[in-house]
Amino acid sequence: MLAITNARIYTVTNGVIDNGSILIEAGKIAAIGAGLDIPPGARVVDAQGQIVTPGLIDEHSHVGGWEEGIGWEGNDINEFTDPSTPQVSILDGINPADIGFADARKGGVTTVQTMPGSGNVIGGLMLAMKTNGNIVDRMVIKYPSGMKAALGENPKRNYGTQGKSPSTRMGTAAMLREYLLKAKQYDAKQSRGDKDFKYDDKLHNLAMVIRKEIPLRVHCHRADDILTAIRVAKEFDINITLEHCTEGHKVADVIARNGVPACVGPSVWQRAKVETRDISPTTPGAIIKAGGKVAIITDHNIVPQHYFRIAVGLTIREGMPEDEALKAVTINAAEIIGVDDRVGSLEVGKDADLVIWTGDPFEPLTHCVMTIINGEVVYQHSGEEK
Amino acid sequence: MKAFINAKIHTVSGESYEQGTLLISQGKIVAVGTHVDVPAQAEVVDCSGKVIIPGFIDTHTHVGMWGEGEGQSSYDGNEGTDPITPQVRALDAINPLHQSFADARMGGVTTVQVTPGSGNPIGGQMCVLKTAGTLVDEMVLLPFNGMKAALGENPKNSYGISRRRFPATRMGTAAAIRGALNQAKAYLEKREKDEGTVLDLRWEPLAQVLKGKVPLRVHAHRADDIVTAVRIGEEFGIKIAIEHGTDSAVIADFLAEKQVPVNLGPSFWHRAKIETQAVSFETAGVLEKAGVKLSLISDHPFFPIQYMSIAVAMAHAAGMSPMGALRAYTLSAAEIVGVDERVGSLEAGKDADFTVWDGCPFSIRSHVLETYIDGQAVYTRE
Repeated sequence: MLAITNARIYTVTNGVIDNGSILIEAGKIAAIGAGLDIPPGARVVDAQGQIVTPGLIDEHSHVGGWEEGIGWEGNDINEFTDPSTPQVSILDGINPADIGFADARKGGVTTVQTMPGSGNVIGGLMLAMKTNGNIVDRMVIKYPSGMKAALGENPKRNYGTQGKSPSTRMGTAAMLREYLLKAKQYDAKQSRGDKDFKYDDKLHNLAMVIRKEIPLRVHCHRADDILTAIRVAKEFDINITLEHCTEGHKVADVIARNGVPACVGPSVWQRAKVETRDISPTTPGAIIKAGGKVAIITDHNIVPQHYFRIAVGLTIREGMPEDEALKAVTINAAEIIGVDDRVGSLEVGKDADLVIWTGDPFEPLTHCVMTIINGEVVYQHSGEEK
Repeated sequence: MKAFINAKIHTVSGESYEQGTLLISQGKIVAVGTHVDVPAQAEVVDCSGKVIIPGFIDTHTHVGMWGEGEGQSSYDGNEGTDPITPQVRALDAINPLHQSFADARMGGVTTVQVTPGSGNPIGGQMCVLKTAGTLVDEMVLLPFNGMKAALGENPKNSYGISRRRFPATRMGTAAAIRGALNQAKAYLEKREKDEGTVLDLRWEPLAQVLKGKVPLRVHAHRADDIVTAVRIGEEFGIKIAIEHGTDSAVIADFLAEKQVPVNLGPSFWHRAKIETQAVSFETAGVLEKAGVKLSLISDHPFFPIQYMSIAVAMAHAAGMSPMGALRAYTLSAAEIVGVDERVGSLEAGKDADFTVWDGCPFSIRSHVLETYIDGQAVYTRE
C-alpha cells in the first residue's frame, strides 16, 4: 500500500482537499480525504506543501508513432499511399521506447490518446494508453477510441500536389462522404444478413463510426472546416470530435449548440500554415464561455509532453478559468476519449494515476516531483535535474 | 517627461528597487532609483503593485521576414539559390508591418537581431532593430551586425540531400565557408594593395568579417559543429558567435576558455532534428556556471516571440540564477550584439525601452501591460 499524505489535493470532480491523504492499493485509489488513518506498513510519501492532481491526459498526441529527430524511419502516423485508410491502426505503429513517453512521465502526463496523422482524409484507428510500459498492448486502456479524419490543408497538400484527389476542400469532404455512405450501406447489408455481403477491411472499421461505437475525430483548423465537420456528422448521424479547432473562437456558439467536443491545440506554436494563422491561446476560454466542452491538446510532438502543462498555463493567462483549465486536461479529456470510468479524477476505485507537484502545475517555476501510474512510481525527480 | 513611481524595478545592470521610480524624457531614461526627484511638470504614473524591467532583446529571430500563415510567397529567409550569399541583407526582406513585430511588442521584446536562415553555409548579413515603426531604416540600430553562417544538417539538407549539389556533408559545408573566406581574403589583400580594385559586393561584406568589424555568427547545434565554428574562427583570426548551441553544455568549459558567446535556443521545442536531440532548458544554467556569455533566443517564428518570458522563467526553473536568466534576455543579449550602450538595462542615458507588468515576469499568469520603446507606449494590453 502506498499513502500520499499532507497534500493539497485537486480531485477535479469533488473539489480541493487541504492536508489530504490518498491511499493506493492494487493500482487503484482505495481512499481519499482529510484525516485518513494510514495503515501500518504503508509506504508513506509526505507531500507537505505540495499539490496533487490527477495524471494529465492528452486527448491528441502522436507519442510513440512519430519519433522525434528521426526521419521516415521513426514516422509511422500517415499511411501516405491512399487518401482513405480506415483499415490501418496506430496500434501497429507505436514504439513504447519513444522518448516521448519518458517526457510524458516527467511532465505528469499519464494517459495519452495517440492517433494517426492528418495526411489522409480517413487516417485510421486510434487508441488511448498509459505512458508507462514496454508492451503497447498492456499500456492500452481503450482500443479503438476513434477513427481519424482530416479536413483542410493537409490532405489536399499531400494528394492534390501530386495530381491526385483530393485537391480541394470540396474533394476532401466528398471523399469522406463517399466512404461514410459505403460504410453505412455495408453495415446495413451486414446487419440484414444479405447474401452478397462481402467482408471489406476498410468498411469494417468505418462501420464502427456508423454504429456510433467510436467517434470520427476530425482534424479541422479553420472555422469553415469546423462547420464542414459538424455538417457531415449531422448528415450521417455520427459522433465527432473537433481536433485542433484553431478558429473555434470564431464559431464557439455553433460548437456549443451542437454539443461537439472541442480538442484545442497545439497553442504554443508558430503560425505554421495558412489555416493556423489565427492561432491563439484565447480559443479554449472562448469556447468555454460559449458553453462548449474543451480538452487542451499537445499534438505531440508539436508541443512536447513535458511542456503540456505550460501550454495549459498560457490558456489561463489568456482567459481560461482555472478550474476549467485543469478539467480540460483531466476529466474532460477522459470523457471525450471515453475512459473516464478509469482515469481523469481522483476518486475511490479509479486508477491510481496522479502527480505530485512542487506548486501550481501550470507555472514554469513548478516542477513535477513524482508521477504515479497504476499505483506505481514511474517518475521521481532526482533533485539533480530540475 | 514622465515618471513611473512606486514600481518594483529590476534595472538588470545594477540594483533592483521594491518601491522605485523611473524617470524618462525625450525617449531616454533620465533617472532610476528610490530617491529620484520628480520634476513638477512630469506626468506621474502610479505603478503600485507593478513590475518594470528593461525591454527584452532577442539576438536570434526572423521577425518580419519569415512567412507565418501567409503561404509560400512570404518566405524570405533563405536565398537558397547559392550556398554562399554574403551579399544579401536581412534588412532588405523585413516587413515592419508584419504580425511578428506586434507579437514582439506584446511579449515585451523591444530589440531584435534579424538573421537570414541557415540553409546556406554563408547566408547573408544580419541587422539589429527596434520592434516598433513602419520604416525599417528608422528602426535599425545596426544595419550590418554580423554575417550568418551555418553548419550541420541544414546546409547539407538544402543542397546535398535535396538537390545533389555541393555541399552534401559537414566536410563540404566547412570547406564552402573556408573557400568563401579565402576568396574574401584574397580580395581584401588585393584591395588593400591596389586602391583601384573594383568593389565586389559579394566579398566586401566578408572582408568586414576578416577585418574584425563584425563577427561570423554560426548556426551550430551539435558539439562538433560548435567546435568546427571555433576552429574556423581561429584559422582566420575572426570573431565567432554561436547561434543555437544546443549541445553547448558538454563543451561549456571550452566555450568559456575561448570566450565565445552563445545565443542559446530555442529551448522550448521538440527534438525536431537529429542535431537537436539534446535540447533542454538545463543548458542555460550549465553555461552560466561555466562562465560562458549567453543570451536566450526565440528563433521566431520557431518559438513564438510573444511567449519568451516563459522561456526565461523555464531557464531559471532549470538551474539558471533568476537575474542571470533575466540578463540573458536583456543586457547580455545587448552586449553580444553590440548595442549595450543604448539598450539592455535601465540606466540614466539609455533608451527608454521597458515593460510594465502586472506581476512577476516569471509567472505564466503575469501580463505585459505596456511596452515602451524610445519612451513611447507601443503596446498596451486591452
